[in-house]
Amino acid sequence: MGRRAILGACLTAATILAVGVVALNPGNTLGQEATQAGPFVAPADVDTNALRGPRQPIFYRHDIHAGQYEMDCRYCHYTAEVSSEPGLPTISTCMGCHSIIGSGNPEVQKLRDASSEGRSIEWIRVHDLPDHTHFPHMIHVNAEVTCQECHGEVQEMVQVFQFAPLKMGWCLDCHIERGVTTDCTACHY
Amino acid sequence: MSDGFSRRKFLKVLGATGGGAVALSGCSGGAAEKLIPYLVPPEDQIPGKATWYASTCRECSAGCGLHVRTREGRAVKVEGNPNSPINQGKLCALGQSSLQGLYNPDRVRAPMERTASGQFQEISWDEAIARVASAITQQGGDRVWFLTGNEAGSFDALINEWLAALGSSGRVSFEPLGYEALRHANNEVFGLDALPSYDLAAARFVISFGTDFLETWMNPVENARGFTEGHSFADGSMGRYVHVEPRLSMTAFLADEWIAPIPGTEGALALAMAQVVLGEGLGTAPRDARRLSETLAPFTPENASSVTGISADKITTLAREFASGPSVALAGGVGAQHGEAHSTAAAVNILNYVAGNVGQTVKFGPDLNASAGSYQGLSDLVSSMNAGAVGVLFVHGSNPSYSAPGSGFAAALQNVNTKVSFSRFLDETAMDCDLILPDHDPLEQWNDYEPRAGAYALQQPVMRPVFDTRQTGDVVLSVAGSVGVARAGLAVATYKEYLQGRWQQLQRRLRDRRPFETFWLESLQAGGVWTDIPPARVSLAASAVNIAGTVWSAPTGGYTLVAYPSSTMLDGRGANRSWLQELPDPVSKVTWSSWVEMSPHTAETLDIAEGDIVRLESDHGSLEAPAFIYPGIRDDVVAVPMGQGHTEFGQYAKGVGANVSVLLDGAPTVFGGQSHYVAVNVSKTGAHERLAKASGQNRQMGRGMAQATTLAALVGEGHGEEEHRGEHAVPVPEHVQDVLDRWQEDQWEDTRHGNYAGEHPRWGLAIDLSKCTGCSACVTACQAENNIPTVGKEQVARGREMSWIRIERYFEDGHDGEPVEIRLLPMMCQHCGNAPCEPVCPVYATYHTPDGLNAQIYNRCIGTRYCSNNCPYKVRYFNFYDYPNSADPHFSWPEPLHWQLNPDVTVREKGVMEKCTFCVQRIRGAQHQARLEGREVQDGEIQTACQQTCPADAIVFGDLNDPNSRVSQRSHDERGYHVLGDLNTYPGVTYLKKVRNTVAS
Repeated sequence: MGRRAILGACLTAATILAVGVVALNPGNTLGQEATQAGPFVAPADVDTNALRGPRQPIFYRHDIHAGQYEMDCRYCHYTAEVSSEPGLPTISTCMGCHSIIGSGNPEVQKLRDASSEGRSIEWIRVHDLPDHTHFPHMIHVNAEVTCQECHGEVQEMVQVFQFAPLKMGWCLDCHIERGVTTDCTACHY
Repeated sequence: MSDGFSRRKFLKVLGATGGGAVALSGCSGGAAEKLIPYLVPPEDQIPGKATWYASTCRECSAGCGLHVRTREGRAVKVEGNPNSPINQGKLCALGQSSLQGLYNPDRVRAPMERTASGQFQEISWDEAIARVASAITQQGGDRVWFLTGNEAGSFDALINEWLAALGSSGRVSFEPLGYEALRHANNEVFGLDALPSYDLAAARFVISFGTDFLETWMNPVENARGFTEGHSFADGSMGRYVHVEPRLSMTAFLADEWIAPIPGTEGALALAMAQVVLGEGLGTAPRDARRLSETLAPFTPENASSVTGISADKITTLAREFASGPSVALAGGVGAQHGEAHSTAAAVNILNYVAGNVGQTVKFGPDLNASAGSYQGLSDLVSSMNAGAVGVLFVHGSNPSYSAPGSGFAAALQNVNTKVSFSRFLDETAMDCDLILPDHDPLEQWNDYEPRAGAYALQQPVMRPVFDTRQTGDVVLSVAGSVGVARAGLAVATYKEYLQGRWQQLQRRLRDRRPFETFWLESLQAGGVWTDIPPARVSLAASAVNIAGTVWSAPTGGYTLVAYPSSTMLDGRGANRSWLQELPDPVSKVTWSSWVEMSPHTAETLDIAEGDIVRLESDHGSLEAPAFIYPGIRDDVVAVPMGQGHTEFGQYAKGVGANVSVLLDGAPTVFGGQSHYVAVNVSKTGAHERLAKASGQNRQMGRGMAQATTLAALVGEGHGEEEHRGEHAVPVPEHVQDVLDRWQEDQWEDTRHGNYAGEHPRWGLAIDLSKCTGCSACVTACQAENNIPTVGKEQVARGREMSWIRIERYFEDGHDGEPVEIRLLPMMCQHCGNAPCEPVCPVYATYHTPDGLNAQIYNRCIGTRYCSNNCPYKVRYFNFYDYPNSADPHFSWPEPLHWQLNPDVTVREKGVMEKCTFCVQRIRGAQHQARLEGREVQDGEIQTACQQTCPADAIVFGDLNDPNSRVSQRSHDERGYHVLGDLNTYPGVTYLKKVRNTVAS
């Protein structure tokens, strides 16, 4: 359970710079136990052909950012606690660190090019609910449902893939187990 | 649900910057959706949450405050600004539809010029400005004329300043609803060329002389709020309202008495009432009113009776009622603007004066800026154009080629060297121009407007411009720079700077010593600055004693035609919006058409049935339109609404209905306006058209759906327990009651499990029929909030309209000359406790939620339509076509109209049933917010879209299980009843009977 949940305290670019590449000890993990194993190390070489999930325009690695460096999910997905939408990191959020670090990495260069050209990145959506379904992130996050329960161990994913079936029965299983509403209009309207 | 324009597609661009960066129109089929983040996080925006901006509605001259809800940089809903003293949070149907102006598919998308071949061709803004500058240089500044609509504020000042710098005096304002008669009369009686504010809330007796004050007159939203506050039944008493007009307009629906005088003679009634008030020493007449004794002496009730056809006793009674307490008499409505309308208005001024109303309910000082210029001014412009005095004509916010066909404006344009239009649409006037420099929509611009003296309302852009348009103020400043007159106030870079400069002056005038930035930001946030101007002391002008009391004489033979402003499209400016075209007219319930109102007697005489095409011919023109037979109109009068019959303008307006203005006399009247009464011949053409009416029966057939009572019955001796709610009109037989009781017990048992086990609210509505004016703002608000498609004329005629709320309009009595009464009933899903639709659904798509909603789950619906068949209220609507699909011929949201879609509500596709949800997205939103803040949802926190906009506050939503909630308390009013309650449906909507004050109180 160590790094499950919304990881650690919010990191700022400055913190990362100060600590360099040393993995951080997750501070307040929303009541989770402290880590017992050693720091997670993302694999340096991977066979990208074998990876699950859609190929993204930039080979962005959650396992390095969220896993190895233990960045808080909410640092990038900054509205998950207050809005139905979790929010996407803006290019300027990425550049907060990557204007300084990551030089020489061709994937980081793609980001820098986009930023200098004033262009955004067209990510491929991994988790897509049908249009007639409303999923309020903030309610789930505040009910202490961890990100990983629906999205899987993203902090160890080299490339993000859809972990859960996201079918209604799967939603309902959890709702029934937790004794919360199973009313249709909770999600469908 | 749909592939084209779904909530999810909408959300997928939540990262897109501002506007324009990403096209939303992509139909991706099964392809992967893209997530596109912002480059820089925008201020004040959280993806998935609404951001609100305060602005000002510029759809008419009222100047209501707006709160615009934006999502991810796009405006998705407008609501009234509660801070604005003008509308106090409410809006009309036209205001609600302003988003269809912003996202209208027929907007001019870039500047254009007419080529030698006569076609329009897009040019760049730099080219456009150079063209204008060279035209001015070539023609000379003194030959520049500028025609605007009604403006009051910085734009008005800028135009005047610019023209002065050019050495031109060619400023003309023209507003089809110009109130010239009232301004003329105010000048004649009080020496003031102004429009006062009216305090309808303070008046306990209102008499309207043909004034449609709940439809278009001055500020209908403010009027509706004030009127219902002063008039509707509360705490055992109510006001009284008498409407005097040959036609029973929507405004007269709530009248306690409708008096139909001989057309054009209502001024004689007003003078006779004034004579009685003064003669009998009633009211609190100011001292100088005695000067009028001699003038008024000949206008006895007996004399007025022979002129108007109203009995002398009635006139005397009305006068006594009028003077017995706070009262107001209203005149100057455009729908009653005949050739002597200024005499009527002068007579009404005198009536108000002798009763002591001036300074009390009629307030000069906080004057309204509801009109500027006049029809006479337009006529003079036409003369100047014909005389060759106009070299360059600018047209902004006015469309005389359509609205004043008799003025000769369109033909006179040929004599102008360069015609420049700032129109946002290719309307009739713009089509005759050489250059079109499209203005921003009001929701895209910086501007201000002064709805009345002392009220300064601000406009701010709520999103980035949809198209390559430019604010006219900025264009004017650029041109001023190009022609070398950018001196003094014009030496600013942008119109926003010009505006802020004027606000700095305003701040000094208000003696506000804060930093300007603070003043500016706080004003923007509040929507403006509002100061109180006390009513000025007003006395009679010398000319007041000279009033002649002339009446307009109706033609002999033939019929009198009344051309009245449409309550939803006004003079026609709202015609290119599908919401307004499909909004049933409050009186006729006709959509997508014009019609000729005539009485049943007239129809019988001419052998005309409803829908028969009739031909109207006046000395000035002719038109053909289907007949609508209406018991609320005199036998010698026919009426046609303004606003239809456009020959240009856009896909929703062009070729729909007939333009009634072609029948009117083009010559200005003595008061400088245009007469809206004209003699016509009515003939049958033999053709027939099925009216696209969104109503079934005109009569209730004894079903008692829209119930009414009288004040006497409520507070008099006769009122008793049998009026209380919950009693069934039809006694239930014992064996049926037994079954019902057992069913209820079973249901109770069922509701103890799972979701139903806990404490829940039961959501409900209470609708006060003594307040509902029939204005239909709720219908358009619902359409905007809930992504409801418009289906077009043919589908409406088949009864396939989709709007979730409708205003049912019934006639009571009115046979063979007896007075007719109108009953109104806003009808939406009743969210029955024992819903007939639920047990017949084979797939449980419709069911009852624990919080008492009758839910409709779109993704479960298979479209059997059994529910609709079994619904006694006919409030379920079926998607017969794929309205959100651009490939379907019934496609309802041509680009960019779909930008308006509410991302919180699923867009429904073909084969799915839908209906009112009590705005469940707002309920869930408020519940989520309360959960995050660790509190309960408060009463009043959730407002349905219909309730939010209702100018009369007729609709209240809330939890029926909470005995202290407003809705509970209102539901237990002794006037409360359930529609078709004897079907044992246990509706969640309680109606409060309409109350009529039939006796003088």
